[in-house]
Amino acid sequence: MKKKKYSKAILLLISLMVTTGALAACSSNSNEKQNNTPTQTNANNNNSSNNGSNSNNSNDAAIGDADPFGKYETPLTIHFTRDVDNDTQDNIIPKTPGESIEDNRWLKAFSEKLGINVVYDWTVSTGDAYTQKMNVTLTSGDLPDMLRVSPAQLKQLAEADLIEDLTPYWEQYASDDLKELYAEQGTAVLNSGTVNGKIMGIGKADVYGDGVYLWIRKDWLDKLSIPEPTSLQDVLKISEAFTTQDPDGNNVNDTYGLALTKDLYGGAMGLEGFFAGYHAYPNMWIDDGAGNLVWGSTLPEVKEGLKALSEMYASGQLDKEFGVKDGGKVAESIAAGKIGIDYGAQWNPMYPLISNYQNDPDANWVGYALVSVDGKPALSPQKFQSDGGYWVVRKGYSNPEALIKMFNLHVELNWGESGDFDYYYMPEANGSVGVWKYSPVQPASAFKNIRAFQEIEEARKNNSFDSLTGEALAIYRNITAFENGDTSQWGWPKIYGAEGVYRHGVNYMNDNLFMYEAFAGSPTETMAERKSTLEALEKETFVKIIMGAVPLDDFDKFVDDWYKVGGSDITKEVNEWYASNK
Amino acid sequence: MIELNIKKLKKELPLNLMILPGFIFILIFSYVPMAGIIIAFQKFIPAKRLFGDQKWIGFDNFKYVMSLPNFDNILWNTFYIASMKVILGLVVPITIALLLNEMKHILLKRSIQTAIYLPHFLSWVVLGGIFIDMLSPTDGLINTFLNKLGLESIFFLGDNKWFPYTMIITDTWKEFGYGTIIYLAALTGINPNLYEAAQIDGANRWKQTIHISIPGIRMVIVLLMVLSLGNLLNAGFDQIFNMYSPMVYESGDILDTFVYRIGLLDAQFGVATAVGLFKSVIALILVSSSYYFAYRFADYRIF
Amino acid sequence: MRIKKKLDWFIVINNIFLILVAAVCVLPMIHILAISLSSSAIAATGTVTFWPKEFSLTSYEFVAQRKAFWDSMIVSLQRIALGGAINVLLATTIAYPLSKEKNEFSFRTFYAWTFFITMIFGAGLIPTYMLVKELGLIDTIWALILPGAVPVFSVIILLNFFRITPKELSESAFMDGAGHWRTLWSIYIPISMPAIATILLFSLVGHWNSWFDGLIYMNNPGNYPLQSYIQTVVVQKNFATLTPEEAKVMAQISDKTLKSAQIFLGALPIICVYPFLQKYFVKGMVLGSVKG
Repeated sequence: MKKKKYSKAILLLISLMVTTGALAACSSNSNEKQNNTPTQTNANNNNSSNNGSNSNNSNDAAIGDADPFGKYETPLTIHFTRDVDNDTQDNIIPKTPGESIEDNRWLKAFSEKLGINVVYDWTVSTGDAYTQKMNVTLTSGDLPDMLRVSPAQLKQLAEADLIEDLTPYWEQYASDDLKELYAEQGTAVLNSGTVNGKIMGIGKADVYGDGVYLWIRKDWLDKLSIPEPTSLQDVLKISEAFTTQDPDGNNVNDTYGLALTKDLYGGAMGLEGFFAGYHAYPNMWIDDGAGNLVWGSTLPEVKEGLKALSEMYASGQLDKEFGVKDGGKVAESIAAGKIGIDYGAQWNPMYPLISNYQNDPDANWVGYALVSVDGKPALSPQKFQSDGGYWVVRKGYSNPEALIKMFNLHVELNWGESGDFDYYYMPEANGSVGVWKYSPVQPASAFKNIRAFQEIEEARKNNSFDSLTGEALAIYRNITAFENGDTSQWGWPKIYGAEGVYRHGVNYMNDNLFMYEAFAGSPTETMAERKSTLEALEKETFVKIIMGAVPLDDFDKFVDDWYKVGGSDITKEVNEWYASNK
Repeated sequence: MIELNIKKLKKELPLNLMILPGFIFILIFSYVPMAGIIIAFQKFIPAKRLFGDQKWIGFDNFKYVMSLPNFDNILWNTFYIASMKVILGLVVPITIALLLNEMKHILLKRSIQTAIYLPHFLSWVVLGGIFIDMLSPTDGLINTFLNKLGLESIFFLGDNKWFPYTMIITDTWKEFGYGTIIYLAALTGINPNLYEAAQIDGANRWKQTIHISIPGIRMVIVLLMVLSLGNLLNAGFDQIFNMYSPMVYESGDILDTFVYRIGLLDAQFGVATAVGLFKSVIALILVSSSYYFAYRFADYRIF
Repeated sequence: MRIKKKLDWFIVINNIFLILVAAVCVLPMIHILAISLSSSAIAATGTVTFWPKEFSLTSYEFVAQRKAFWDSMIVSLQRIALGGAINVLLATTIAYPLSKEKNEFSFRTFYAWTFFITMIFGAGLIPTYMLVKELGLIDTIWALILPGAVPVFSVIILLNFFRITPKELSESAFMDGAGHWRTLWSIYIPISMPAIATILLFSLVGHWNSWFDGLIYMNNPGNYPLQSYIQTVVVQKNFATLTPEEAKVMAQISDKTLKSAQIFLGALPIICVYPFLQKYFVKGMVLGSVKG
């Protein structure tokens, strides 16, 4: 009897599941809200044209009539979703009374100048939550009109024909400034958002970043009477000196040379700059000179870098526990004044270096250009940071060009002729918080910072500070504030001051010393399947080599394994992309 | 067929009505979504919607995971760490509950009870950072102590030999307060007369424990043991994620962290669901078997 | 006389041992408290242990001003009140029938397995989210309460407690004409107070600590429960992919004192509640009188 009861129970369960499954399927296919009534599409007009582009099928819009800043006579409501970071929540919103994510100066600008009303379906904090939320949103089919997705999602959406082809809109509506912005670091930037040759999404313009630099505690150099480094050999000597000669003068052997974390790579405390000294470029795809893309970590130059690092570890120049410490933990060591060399981006003084200064006013971090082992200039490795995401427009939305117009306006209001940098970007009146974050779309030039630095340099040369405007002026104000005693602005002169690190950035830019990652596409098929395994293999091997837990020659075995376990397939796919995107 | 005895049903009606609300809730919120398990058999792309045009790939998701290098290692790590946690997760709370039960000083007892529950409230995000410091081989508290005893420093979080045990012990420390509560509650249910009688008969504390306390909570022990078998492949994502590093992938990488890294790039829901399904099936087998064993040999139905 | 002396030693050692255990458990919380009361500069060096360095209350002042923190605290309080009540209510109404024998309740086994299977098989994020959405619960407190309304683990504990309740009690109640509901209310529940206090505690703590569902089911961050809010403040960023904007943000959110203050305040309320529930864990409440 028990058996019969069980089979009945199981039957019941199964029928329940099937029934409810069918019910759920029915309801999820039913269409959701569509707020964009067709009538609004007629409002997609521009000043000059008499063509009255009826934009149900926007390909009808006549070429040449497109106004990059054309206002919509009948206001257009666009549904967005967005992530909100802590800076916005805790810093920007409190300092801009009366403004919120849903109601602020940027949204007003879009409304007044372009006739666009931005409405948020949901907001969530940046990071994992955003990814998850976006995934469930996609699954539920509730796509907002415009959304920012990951490279993988871009590809999936394009292939499922769920997003608009933006190519004609970009070509017709993108302002000259915007187009220039996206061409600054090569064609790959705009191309990365293409699927099968069509622009399906617009990513960030500054995906590559503007330089890896060598940050050193100059006060320690001075104390130990060591000159500034001009070669990698110098850096090795400095690292040894920092470890053995007690630069903090406390008679305890507690200082290290080079900062590094368990993740090996990163914008701060990363090893990319160090490896670049050996002309090695791990963790990115580079052209081997013969037109083939290869994964930098598998090239022999990396082995040389690893050798040096393992020797440094053995002699105590590296934190013995780096293998278990993430950036946050290593930042603590820097703050405590235990480390003297940090390879990282220009913003390192903002974090983590300033913590050191706040505990020890004598800590004088200075940024230098990358140096190499052999006198040939070291190139600054610039990885393609794809997690800035791509802006896409859902299929069937009436006015895809509105996205481009919003991009145009963001660039114009911040840096354009008719713009107001102070008000729209970093208003002095509100404590210079980054109100630009209020705008859902935030295109920015990769080199705007370096250019701002150049303007300030110019002003320094001619003593013409009162001619500074826009971003350069705001930055200059911060520098002066520090000189007048505001210690929280310590980072600014470190970057933009007369001795600021951007002196070297200018050289990078002018002499084209950037090594841009050559692959800028969505993850390929095998990449999606194998990348995490390969990454784990690489990190595990490299960490163990550095720690001396395995011999240096294990590197060769690593390269073999890397290719065997999926690397060769990925390389093939990446090169296919490369060939078709030249 | 069940003997549809109308009279019996009428008599049992109140019971059925009583259980009805809970039953409806569980149907709606637990069973309806279970239809989504089909994701495990699809190459699931969120953009194509839940019951939309997804590609059916049968057991390919399972095959994919199992064919990845290190899968065997990862499965073993998961099993080993989880089983150790289950064992310690039984022994420690029982011991502490028994010891606490002996305390006469009510205020002290209550304070200690509150104190041991505290670690449960701290997330691994926070505890991870704390333990990295505490277990540091250069200047961590634990190693300083070991050094004073003349022992060499141990790299708890970086040495593959030690990492699993570090995970097990720290996790037990964090969660034993939870189980202790249950055992304490069970101990209060034991008839005090039994203790009095035993004392009169000359049984000492130890004998009382063995012959009265433990048998008295025997059912709760079996219950919790069987239920924790259901967790045999849940080695603790949160904890491991916050404390592991490439150095200890070999001994510390578990199914969940593994799947997490796979999903980072491409949100591979199909794979994640497949692994979840795999874990559930194993858990079901384990728990059902122990349920039947407990029933047949101890005449005890767990639920 | 001799026995008494032996007992004393044991009690002493036992007490000392348990106090040490308790101390080890309390220390991390003290550590967090110490950091929250230190200056942010010194906290950044990671050298604060159990006593504040450069004592400062700024982090608490800052938190007090953060409307989002208090709003989310209120959401959490609502959540545990509603959630706790519903959990206990459902647990008792489910456990009681399940604790009966098959001859008293024919469908017992069917129900038991139906409930139990849900402990083993879960549907995952996406299907559950879709259900919650279809039911229109997004951005409401019910999204945080209803999916977990039936606490199966607690049901199992409670049903075991009900089972060991002496039959004589319920039988005498029946003879007096009491039905199931009455018996449940006036006999089983009072006797099982330790168990009920236990499952109430589990429910309160579970609801209090849960953070992921808040992030996913609330479209408006104003509706976050406390731990969802704290999660957005505390979680470390992956340095490998840090962008320049995020780096500037790190300078603010990595403020350890702020994080610590929020963590501490986040755990405080529930810790205060716990001692009050403890008075139900009293030794040998009623059972003694009946069992022979």
